[in-house]
Amino acid sequence: MSVYSILSTGTEAALTAIPGGRALKRELEERVSRIPLSLNSFGYDPWGFNPDVFKAFLMPAAILYRYWFRCRVQGIENIPKGRVLLIGNHAGQVPFDGLMLTVAMVLEADPPRLTRSMGEYWLGTLPWFNVLMDRIGSSIGTPQTCADMLHKGECVLAFPEGVRGMNKLYADAYQLQEFGLGFMRLALETDTPIVPFGIVGSEEQAPGIANLRGLGQMLGMPAFPLTLTWPWFGALGMVPLPARYYIRFGEPMHFEGAANDEDEVVEEKVAVVKDRIQTMLREGLAERKSIFL
Amino acid sequence: MRKLLITGISGGQGRLLAKRLLGHWNIIGVDRIPWEGPPEGITVRTLDLRKRGFENIFRTERPDAVVHLAFIRHFRIDPRVRHEVNVEGTQRLLDNCARYGVKQVVVLSSSYVYGAEPDNPRYMREDHALNVSRTFPDLRDLAEVEGLVNTFLWRYPEISTSVLRPVNILGYYVHSAIGTYLKLDVVPTVAGFNPMMQFIHEEDVSEAIALALEHRLRGVYNVEGPGAVPLKTAIAAIGRRRISIPEPLAHIVISQLFRFKIYQFPPEAMTFIKYPCTVSGDAFRGATGFEPLFSLEDTFASVAR
Repeated sequence: MSVYSILSTGTEAALTAIPGGRALKRELEERVSRIPLSLNSFGYDPWGFNPDVFKAFLMPAAILYRYWFRCRVQGIENIPKGRVLLIGNHAGQVPFDGLMLTVAMVLEADPPRLTRSMGEYWLGTLPWFNVLMDRIGSSIGTPQTCADMLHKGECVLAFPEGVRGMNKLYADAYQLQEFGLGFMRLALETDTPIVPFGIVGSEEQAPGIANLRGLGQMLGMPAFPLTLTWPWFGALGMVPLPARYYIRFGEPMHFEGAANDEDEVVEEKVAVVKDRIQTMLREGLAERKSIFL
Repeated sequence: MRKLLITGISGGQGRLLAKRLLGHWNIIGVDRIPWEGPPEGITVRTLDLRKRGFENIFRTERPDAVVHLAFIRHFRIDPRVRHEVNVEGTQRLLDNCARYGVKQVVVLSSSYVYGAEPDNPRYMREDHALNVSRTFPDLRDLAEVEGLVNTFLWRYPEISTSVLRPVNILGYYVHSAIGTYLKLDVVPTVAGFNPMMQFIHEEDVSEAIALALEHRLRGVYNVEGPGAVPLKTAIAAIGRRRISIPEPLAHIVISQLFRFKIYQFPPEAMTFIKYPCTVSGDAFRGATGFEPLFSLEDTFASVAR
């Protein structure tokens, strides 16, 4: 069974179960058809993106977006045309934040954009998942691939905290962890504007209470988080709590300088982006009245 | 007319290249296996690159240019012999080129030298590390051959030496590892993996070699075909049935089939049907203006049943 057939079966089931499902499907199809793509005669772009798989994948994601996390988006008009790097906070044990951002870029951005997520290296070894990543336009985040995508005018999403952010404990919620420098070097190298974003709500979807790194390593994963629900409730414990998501985009930031500068010089620029995101998170938290409503 | 020596001329690629260049070059070919009745204007000598007779050809014929295709690319023989023929054969050839005033050398390598890895950049440039031996030690001769040619390239700046690394070659005449795999009645794939793969038609490879000669190319170049598709899409386009085998089982099955010589696909080659090994052909395109004539559809049709 292919990734595509699994997704389409799931989608069909969801369509009948959810009121407004058909309308949502039509909306997604119309929006995806407006994303500029360069497909070959077999329907794939150079990085393995396929619009049919993408649409099938988006449907359950959009259901989560509308009905589970009930995302609210601010400032999406800040996203410039052409190449752009989206940089923000990472949280929630499972990267629903990247997923919701991807849906927001299709449903709310005008014109709709395809988000290219840059994944951790080990994800490429995961059966099925590695294929899915390619088909929905993402890739393993090697600097070369990322630079190629930016040169072709793509919208690239990166979480510079990586698993440090995603698998942190709830005690550290909304406190940005150490940022990698790679994204800034790429922005400088390819002269790409950075749009910072802050997501509020992702920390509450699966509050981490411990991280068994040793066990994770044995299983070939970078972390093994324990949350309020996982692994106590088995597979069911992986279902995220329905915290409302607030996605806030800041104004584009432009940086100048040499891509191969000393770490200290690049770190200063990274700190500016990090501060901006931290500020957006603080603002978002202050404005939030309820975690779930 | 200038003289061109083609090694490995009796293979599919050798014959295609010889016919492509006929009329432009005075062609002499060598191979361990004979080519019965080559077209007029092509002289073929049956001999082993590792034997003394090979040097005599340089001494008597004095070729202006050499295209080196004489590599054992299959796994039907002892890996030691394969290594010896490929690496020592190349060394002999390069020594002779330097000694007898050859002005141009083109060596047909392969994009396989980069190795297939989960974290490969999607389009590797020529400066990417040659990692093939990490997962596929029996292919290290490919990387070693390139090492020899690179040394030669720097040591003899007056000789225009180029290395071409084409992507997966398909076609009616060429016997490539990927072609053999895709021509199986039932093609095994690894469940949960479906990497993007690039293909190029055998005639386009000949064209690329011809362009390298014409432009007196110097350096190392990837040669990209008309594009990339997922492996399973390629199998479907060629019209083969496919069986998806779970990973641990796939390794056992393929090892056993290989061990008993039922199926010439070494288990280490599995990385190439799991992970990407895609390259950028921009540098070659820029240097020669190369554009593949054959589309992906044409390329798949050439091996369809």
